[in-house]
Amino acid sequence: MITMMGISHQFKIGKKGKERIVPVLHDIDLSVEKGEIVAIVGRSGSGKSTLLNLMSGYIRPTAGEIKVAGRMVTKLDEGAWADFRLAHYGFIFQNFQLISSMTAYENVELPLVLKGVGQSERRKRVEKMLENVDIAAFASHYPSELSGGQQQRVSVARSLVLEPPIVLADEPSGSLDSENEKSLLTMIKQLNHELGITFVIITHDDQVASVAHRTIRLQDGRLARQAPLVSVESIKETFDLAKGGHHS
Amino acid sequence: MKFGDQLRFVRQNMKRNKTRLFMTVLATAMGCAFLTVLASVGFGLQQSMVEEITGDRLVTEITIYGKNPDKFDTQGIQNGDIDYFQSLPNVKAVTYRNYIQQYMDPSIDGNPVNVNQRIGMDFEAEKQAGFGLSAGRLPEGNNEIVIGYHIREVMDEEGRPSSELPAASEWVGKTMTLQVSYYEDGELAKKPLETVIVGVAEQPTKEWNRDRNIYMGEEMLTQIEAITGTQLGELPYFEVAPTKEQVQKLIEQLPKPTGERQYQDVTVVAENASKVKGIAEKIREQGYFNHSIADELKQVNMLFTIMKIGLIFVGTIAVLIASIGIFNTMTMAVTERAQDIGIMKAIGAHPSVIRRVFLLESSLIGLFGAIIGTLVSYAISFAVNAGLPIMIEVLMEETLPADFKFSVIPPYLAALTCVIALGVALISGQRPARRATRIDVLSALRREV
Repeated sequence: MITMMGISHQFKIGKKGKERIVPVLHDIDLSVEKGEIVAIVGRSGSGKSTLLNLMSGYIRPTAGEIKVAGRMVTKLDEGAWADFRLAHYGFIFQNFQLISSMTAYENVELPLVLKGVGQSERRKRVEKMLENVDIAAFASHYPSELSGGQQQRVSVARSLVLEPPIVLADEPSGSLDSENEKSLLTMIKQLNHELGITFVIITHDDQVASVAHRTIRLQDGRLARQAPLVSVESIKETFDLAKGGHHS
Repeated sequence: MKFGDQLRFVRQNMKRNKTRLFMTVLATAMGCAFLTVLASVGFGLQQSMVEEITGDRLVTEITIYGKNPDKFDTQGIQNGDIDYFQSLPNVKAVTYRNYIQQYMDPSIDGNPVNVNQRIGMDFEAEKQAGFGLSAGRLPEGNNEIVIGYHIREVMDEEGRPSSELPAASEWVGKTMTLQVSYYEDGELAKKPLETVIVGVAEQPTKEWNRDRNIYMGEEMLTQIEAITGTQLGELPYFEVAPTKEQVQKLIEQLPKPTGERQYQDVTVVAENASKVKGIAEKIREQGYFNHSIADELKQVNMLFTIMKIGLIFVGTIAVLIASIGIFNTMTMAVTERAQDIGIMKAIGAHPSVIRRVFLLESSLIGLFGAIIGTLVSYAISFAVNAGLPIMIEVLMEETLPADFKFSVIPPYLAALTCVIALGVALISGQRPARRATRIDVLSALRREV
């Protein structure tokens, strides 16, 4: 589903002319299979958020290639990335990232609005989704009127309303108490099981990592340990085929 | 993203800071009102000036004054000249007036009627040229006539006309008797001619112009000439009673009805205003002195066009100043909503959608401002036209012509203002909208913008 090969990334910091280059990721090869729950763990500054941001298209890698759902996405421009995100990804953020001036209903509706789905179809899908995450009673509430757990449910509903094949979650339980965290993890497992949605979860929480089929650990920008379902050779083969080459 | 949803987004955004929105729309409305009112003065003065110049005349008219003696042996416009004018391309009609040279003591039911001129004309040509009637129709039979608008006026004891006229339709169908004077065996005799009023001419545009004429067709003129034996019913004038021979001698000297007729007030009417110049030049080349209002209007219109462009330019500066407000409001809006924009981009909003939403918002501000400004302009224009003549009369003791307008807002001026305001608003919104599309997703998600 997601394949990264030779991904390196570095940031430039400091004023213009006195910039300093800080390498964050070094030559990362990884793949995430369809229907997998993959947890990316590591200490702060290990580069796990950067890895997720590269998958999301919020930043571009300094080197390497990324392929998602059979499409090379590394060189997509901003507009194409936006369309790609809308079509393939759902996002769950640590701080929920709900729009404060919109109700829970409107927040969940937003991806459908962006996609140009009609009003009646939108209503049907949003109401169903709000019920699925057990937040329908709070549909007309603004984010400020909801608890952290409720906001995260709205965020999950928004990420799933377009029924994306992949959900990228950045510290999804970071702002939740243990009870809400448990509830969220149950929901993730259920969605993965029932709908076959692929989850890539950034976390430093072992509890969260425990629901994953596989855990990828990052250490100082390098993969510390990985138990790939496919070999590195098969990743190379995927890229060779995509580039029109042949495997010898 | 559908247009309806974009509008909903904009409406939600606009509700966030109503005071700021109101002030921006107000500034735009003021700019638009200033532009419209300023330009409307140019339009108003032009309209009033053109109306003053044209009066009752048509812009398609070419008045023939006479003939160049170097090119013609005969003076005065004669049948051959009329035929020539009629033969020209793009000529709609050739009208003329034959003034009957005796008063004929017009009366209705034995009561004398005060008339000015008795005029013979070609009604077919007049119909083409647009001879206006306030009631009835143009003559079709031999003894039918049209009377001038003011013939119905009744004079009071001091000889001033009454302010109210009897209905024109009441006069249609009345019989007017004309006493045609002529000489029979050296004696002045009178022969009554019964005529039927079939129409009443329309009111002259100028208030001071009093139409007390009688208009009749060629046939009736021929009838009168047959009675008098002279052209246009002209009779010799004697201070003392003449002898039969004296009368005979003088009548012999007057032009006969069968002789070459001289036409007065000859006017060539072009099919439309654009043909006037060509016809006038051709006639001039042939040696006919002529004049058309189009000549005068051309210069006046040119002057006012330059004036209007100048006024619109000055007015546009006001709208440009208002655009600073729109720019500021939109920049603030982008800054305030940076996080929301970031979230939208993060979940898949295309940059062009974000750009469109902000441009839509700035255009709506421009449009609201333009609509309010235009409505206010119409109100100001109405107030100026109603109030200024009174002020001038009171303060400067001068009276303006009736229907004089200082300010006129033609629909296309209102449309132009809306287009300018919309254009300026769109330009003002460009930079903030572009800025919105460039908001960095990660910075926005981290609340760093």
